[in-house]
Amino acid sequence: MIQNTFKKELKELSRDGRVRISFLLVILLMAVATWISKNQYSATNEQYKEAETAERHIWEGQGEKNPHSAAHYGTYAFKPKYPLSLIDHGVDKFTGTSIFLEAHKRNEAQFSKAADQTGLARFGDLTPDFVLLFILPLLIVFLGYNAFTKEREMGTLVLLKSQGTSVWKLILGKWLAIFAPVFISLFLLFVVAGIVLSNLKDFGIFSWESLGVLFLVYIGYYIIFINLVLFISSKVKKSGISLVLSLSAWILACLAVPKAASNIAESQYPYPTRQEFAASINKDQKNGIDGHDPWNKQAKLLENKVLKEHNVDSLEQLPFNFDAYRMQKGEEHTAEIYFKHYNHLKTQFEQQSSLYRNLAVLSPFLPARFMSMAIANTDYATHWDFADAAEIYRVELQAFLNGNFAENSTYGEWSYRADESTWKNMPAFEYDPPELSETLGRNTSNLVVLMVWILVSFSLLFFTTKKL
Amino acid sequence: MYKFNFIYELKSLVRNGWIQLLTLLLFALFFFAFYNGQEKVEKRKSDIQAAHTEVKESDRDMLKLLDSVERGMTVTASRWTIPSKPMAVGNYHPRVAAMDPGNLAFVATGQSDLFTHYVKPKTSGDDLALNFTEITNPVQQLFGSFDPAFVIIFLLPLIIIAFTYNVLSSEKESGTLRLLASQPISVAAWVLQKMAIRLFWVILMIVVILTMVFYIHIDGASFGSIIPVIGITIGYALFWFALAFVVNLWVGSSSKNAIALIGLWLLFALLVPSLLNQMGSTLYPMPSRTLMINQLRTAKAEATKKQDQILDNFLRDHPEYAINDPNQGRSFYHRYMASQQLVREELQPVVQRFEEQLQKQQQWISQLKWVSPAIIVQQELNTLAGTSTRDYESYRKQVIDFAETWRQHLMPFLYNNQPFASADYKNLPAFEYAPLNSNTTAKTILVLIVIAMGIVGLGFAKGIGFQSSKGILTH
Repeated sequence: MIQNTFKKELKELSRDGRVRISFLLVILLMAVATWISKNQYSATNEQYKEAETAERHIWEGQGEKNPHSAAHYGTYAFKPKYPLSLIDHGVDKFTGTSIFLEAHKRNEAQFSKAADQTGLARFGDLTPDFVLLFILPLLIVFLGYNAFTKEREMGTLVLLKSQGTSVWKLILGKWLAIFAPVFISLFLLFVVAGIVLSNLKDFGIFSWESLGVLFLVYIGYYIIFINLVLFISSKVKKSGISLVLSLSAWILACLAVPKAASNIAESQYPYPTRQEFAASINKDQKNGIDGHDPWNKQAKLLENKVLKEHNVDSLEQLPFNFDAYRMQKGEEHTAEIYFKHYNHLKTQFEQQSSLYRNLAVLSPFLPARFMSMAIANTDYATHWDFADAAEIYRVELQAFLNGNFAENSTYGEWSYRADESTWKNMPAFEYDPPELSETLGRNTSNLVVLMVWILVSFSLLFFTTKKL
Repeated sequence: MYKFNFIYELKSLVRNGWIQLLTLLLFALFFFAFYNGQEKVEKRKSDIQAAHTEVKESDRDMLKLLDSVERGMTVTASRWTIPSKPMAVGNYHPRVAAMDPGNLAFVATGQSDLFTHYVKPKTSGDDLALNFTEITNPVQQLFGSFDPAFVIIFLLPLIIIAFTYNVLSSEKESGTLRLLASQPISVAAWVLQKMAIRLFWVILMIVVILTMVFYIHIDGASFGSIIPVIGITIGYALFWFALAFVVNLWVGSSSKNAIALIGLWLLFALLVPSLLNQMGSTLYPMPSRTLMINQLRTAKAEATKKQDQILDNFLRDHPEYAINDPNQGRSFYHRYMASQQLVREELQPVVQRFEEQLQKQQQWISQLKWVSPAIIVQQELNTLAGTSTRDYESYRKQVIDFAETWRQHLMPFLYNNQPFASADYKNLPAFEYAPLNSNTTAKTILVLIVIAMGIVGLGFAKGIGFQSSKGILTH
């Protein structure tokens, strides 16, 4: 019976002109979106490579210079793009792509793509993730809204009942008939994407494993929609009503809840404005962290301590340049202040994230969206990871420069110039995105929510539908 | 006939709960959205206010310090922050250049979640150091805001679709159409009439809700300021009613109608905008910001190498400063400001290209927005709210101009080696944001109405041409 229903439904779907057209349209959209993304991806990566080499060249070719001048001149960390960003662009458009690394200051990533776009871009971009997250569920609605209502309207339900079929077999048959085409087309799509990605030159670190997990996430997401649509169809009398209800569920899940969640998250756990953030860091720099031990006081203590340690009574007698040494200690102190303030931002961010997770009860879109971005390394957490790595590099860079200054000059010798070859000795900034296992570990709660959605929707469909 | 139809329709709409549900839905969605919009505006206002207060306090300290310096007392502040040095005023006591929200800012979030609403330009640094983007969780920007513009552009059409998709088909499906066919009224006119009742109610609700919102949220403005929003919303609703009207006439069964209408919604509200956006950025691509950084770095490196020479050239170009140049009095800032000026001039065309491309994209959209009413409405609401791309572009320009004013005001002090005195405080320039004016709203509303009328006219002309007139009764 399951098999027969499955075959009959598939045949019917394939004969329906509307279904054929919408399938065709989705595939066309997907192809266009992927093509656009691929071009963008290659262009961005080329620019990234060019900028990175040029920047390194600029850094190494500074010539003879005081290390502290070099520190102020600074260097840039550029954020690379990863292969799976081809499938999900995530928040990449809204986060900056380059961080200026200089002395005394931690800078935010600059130049987000969205800021360079018109208001039209806020309608959304034609990207694969748009098709996967918004359009495919809509296709499922169209495929399944009348699965049961049409039997009712045509009166065939009575016939089916007279055959003594158990309800669950009927449901499963219809379920499979919708699932199979979705599964197969998604599978083909991901295989093609995988082949394209692994054949791109300089594609970074592409792993089939991540692609596979991403595939599973999307399949899970679609299963939830299939379950919900069939559930609605089995409970409602008319096709029209079933369609409108399924569409409302789609709008709620994909459009309304995420937007409402964004408003709630923003007002519950607000970020400070850029200016406020800078001002509170300034305050800590002036008055010491939380008003304790301002730096000039600490510097005085440091002076006495160093003098005592080396058993000398003036800074000139020290075997190194105390100015540079103090600057390094000051740098460490500043880094600590930044660490504190960025940690505050991070707590806000984590609280916002947990709010999104809680609201996922209302929308399976949320966990799917977050999982997909995370696996594609285009989520906000990856951006944080990158910014933190850049900060660690910045601190190392300052230590390197101040160390050079301290060792090779004496107290008060500001005219000291480091050799031209000095700059090469500092290794270039490199960043590796989190591994898949780490990403999954961080997103366990999203995975759990997605699983719960799958289980609950399955039981809704199979256990509450005892008779049709 | 018309009268009976009308009364019957109204009664049945009330009895099956249609009007109640619609009213409730519209009220709930709009008020939630207005609440969100208002909250954003409040935050923006209080942030700006806090910035002003902070500057006021720091000004008081500055004046105190200046006073002590002028009386010849010793002060404890770090040498380079003492405000008798003009560059200390320029860098440590910048003014707030704020973009105050307009009356209708709560209507559309627009680009306001991307950009900051106040900056404090300093004398040092270049224009690129002015960061106009805001730190936020980008997830919020990705999801967008549940603001009135979202309800109007995306949800209102869906609500209209949900309540109009089966106006004709339900009569057909329940068999009452045969009875109606015996009446002296054309099918098109009869569908139009049923639509008109629904339209009337939706318009009434929109007017009621927006009037209420006006009295709750806007204070100190005339009622006239909300009328454009009401007009745009009604024009947009008309468009969707018109579409629903022809789809009802032309398509067929309830579910086919619903699918056709949703398809149109998808087309107008999601696909056309993203396609146009894609085409805009392909036709007028933004230059690479990463490569721009390289250019910036090279220009700066060159300037740093030649700072002394640059200062000499600068003084040659500005003999008014050179007169007072005692040569020995050249400080770091003399050289720095001169070389910064050069870097700025050199980078001007590079920076300008970004703004130009953005303007070209914007122009392209203005020409093609007529393809989709959703785009028309979005652009118009953003403009009314003062949160459109153009508004932020204009703000950026005003700030950069102000930064120049600020520098030019303090430069004479620096190069004339003249200390900044407390008497000079009142002459410091202040920033005043001049919002853009737009007068396109009336035209936009008219266009929307014309489009809607055109569609309805098409419906009448074609009649139920796409369904066979026999089939509509026998099937």
